[in-house]
Amino acid sequence: MLGPGIAWYLGIAAFLFATGALGVLIRRNPIIVLLSLEIMLNGGNLALIAFSRHARNGAGQIFALTVMAVAASEVCVGLGLVVAINRRRLALDVDRLSELRG
Amino acid sequence: MKGGAWLCLFAPLVGTVLILLGGTRFSRRAAGWLATTSVFVAFAGAVWAFLDLRSASSHAGITYTAWTWLQAGQFKIGLSVLVDPLSTLMMLIVAGVGGLIVLYSVGYMDGDDEERRYFAYISFFVFSMLLLVEGGNLLLLLAGWGLVGLSSYLLIGFWHERPTAVAAAKKAFVMNAIGDATMALSLFVLIAHSNSLEFGTSFDTALHLSPTAVNLVALGLLGGAVAKSAQIPLHTWLPDAMEGPTPVSALIHAATMVTAGVYLIARTHPIFEQARTVELVGAGIGALTLLVAGLIALVQTDIKRIIAYSTMSQIGYMFVGVGVGAYANGMFHLMTHAFFKALLFMAAGLLIHALADEQDIRKMRGIGALMPWTKWAFLAGALALVGMPPFAGFFSKDSIIAAALHDHWYGVILAAAGLVGAFLTGLYTFRLYFIVFPGEPTAFVREHRHAHHGKEGPLTMLVPVGVLTVLAVIGGWIQFSPFWHPLTNWLDPVAPTLAVAEPTNAQEAIASVLAVALGLAGIGVAWALYGRGEVAVPRLPALQRTLEHKFYFDEAYDALFYKPAAVLASRLRSDFEEPVILATGPDLGEGALEIGEGVRRFQTGLLRTYVLFLGTGLAIVGVIFLAVR
Repeated sequence: MLGPGIAWYLGIAAFLFATGALGVLIRRNPIIVLLSLEIMLNGGNLALIAFSRHARNGAGQIFALTVMAVAASEVCVGLGLVVAINRRRLALDVDRLSELRG
Repeated sequence: MKGGAWLCLFAPLVGTVLILLGGTRFSRRAAGWLATTSVFVAFAGAVWAFLDLRSASSHAGITYTAWTWLQAGQFKIGLSVLVDPLSTLMMLIVAGVGGLIVLYSVGYMDGDDEERRYFAYISFFVFSMLLLVEGGNLLLLLAGWGLVGLSSYLLIGFWHERPTAVAAAKKAFVMNAIGDATMALSLFVLIAHSNSLEFGTSFDTALHLSPTAVNLVALGLLGGAVAKSAQIPLHTWLPDAMEGPTPVSALIHAATMVTAGVYLIARTHPIFEQARTVELVGAGIGALTLLVAGLIALVQTDIKRIIAYSTMSQIGYMFVGVGVGAYANGMFHLMTHAFFKALLFMAAGLLIHALADEQDIRKMRGIGALMPWTKWAFLAGALALVGMPPFAGFFSKDSIIAAALHDHWYGVILAAAGLVGAFLTGLYTFRLYFIVFPGEPTAFVREHRHAHHGKEGPLTMLVPVGVLTVLAVIGGWIQFSPFWHPLTNWLDPVAPTLAVAEPTNAQEAIASVLAVALGLAGIGVAWALYGRGEVAVPRLPALQRTLEHKFYFDEAYDALFYKPAAVLASRLRSDFEEPVILATGPDLGEGALEIGEGVRRFQTGLLRTYVLFLGTGLAIVGVIFLAVR
């Protein structure tokens, strides 16, 4: 088989995932948080597809498709929330939306 | 046959559900008529089943199963009804007498605040009783057994604003629960041995059980019968149950539910025959109860309590009958007793209704002059109760005494108790009659009597009393041993009379003559003592006091069961609850609060911290997995 070995793919996937996680942890703009989430998911997708190819088994690709569908619906909800927040003229800052503090 | 049985069983339940769901959409009257109709529909179903069974080629009985009600491994119980001679006889009695009594309560309960609740309860009772007698296996029988206990509890405590009624209801429920428990235990023994509660299988199992096991099963069943039928030593609830409305006393505590014990023994007689000693113990309990209850009835002053003690005494006769093995005779007395005792209660109800709820017989004197029809109806019931020919009780009671007479030496003792009981019956019944009815009406009676447009009561009350008067007179003619016995023949396929309980003609004659003579003697003594207007004759004060305290049963149970429990409870409170539980409770609460305060810090409301916790947890789990591998 041509192309780089599985370790490369997994390395990139881990890098993407870590980048996304870092974004979720430190950014405060909800749109950026959602964006970072997408990056995490796609890191996961990349790992799934790499494994699928490595194991010569289609199941990983199906998983990746499912994750895409989930990601799409999640973004729908998330962006809907962002729009709703904006409509009520609230600050676009996840740290100030902390009604549920104990 | 099938349709009749199901119709009979479920019509009263439909009535209950409709009344409960309808609520205030039904007028009070309509609820009463609905309940009456549902019970009469049940009676029609019973007649249908009876006619079908009579024309069937075999009278052995058929079980119809609607579906599997309960299944646990091999153990399987169907929702089934049994149509056989015994159950159709009971269906006819329960639905027939029940219908008349529900009709009577339309008049009796008129103007009560919560009539709808009453009628819902009473048709539910009829359903439960029909489930008891029709249930196609022992578990359904037990279910009916429990449900009649429940509806009896609800109806005794119907006037729940009276503390005495509530206490009486609780007492009845607890006493009955003892019987339910022993019965359930004996069913467990049967399940353990046969994995089934079908009648046929259980009876076959009983043949192969060890004597200990079969005695235990029979004792458990007898315990249930004794509690439900208010026999010694579980009898104290029945007189108190008179706190309920009078039609309830007539239906539940005279005609149907309290006789369920007799039905149970007749139904499960193959088990009892394997445990003959237990069966005879049942007969002995019956004999003891009929004497004790007859004696206590001599000194009571509440009209309903007198009749209640009389009921206990008559059920004692039935226990003697089924105990010695004369099942058909016991069931025959059950039937006639349902007629005349319901009649007595309903006639008493007419008096109570007319006298603004007064139940003390000393205040009722002379009411016969104002209410002649009630007087004649009561007299017919009283003569039937004492067993004077040609009234119903004569045919049924004497054949029980004769059957007992045939059975060895103990049979003679049982028969002697029955004959003494006949004398007592005459005495207490006509003490009641002579105190209440003859003579000049007292001022109290004149003042309190309500006339219902010149009648003695509304038509809905008078019609059932009339019907039952006729039945109390002619109901016994169906069987006159030794000349004709269609009832015995009818019950023969399910409950054949044992050979030891088949009296000779001479014994029949002796029993009849002696019983009638002693009954007449009782009436004569009652006339001599009470006929001339003296209300109480206090002689033998010690005996009188013992009787008025009902042989100190209540006091003994109080000392034996209630007091130790109360002492234990108060000691537990002072030595355990207060120093231990109450001392540690607040500490526990404060500890929980402190922990909550601590945990609260984690709930920052910041999404990022949550994600951090999530990630950290995931990382820890990952590390552990890697390390463990």
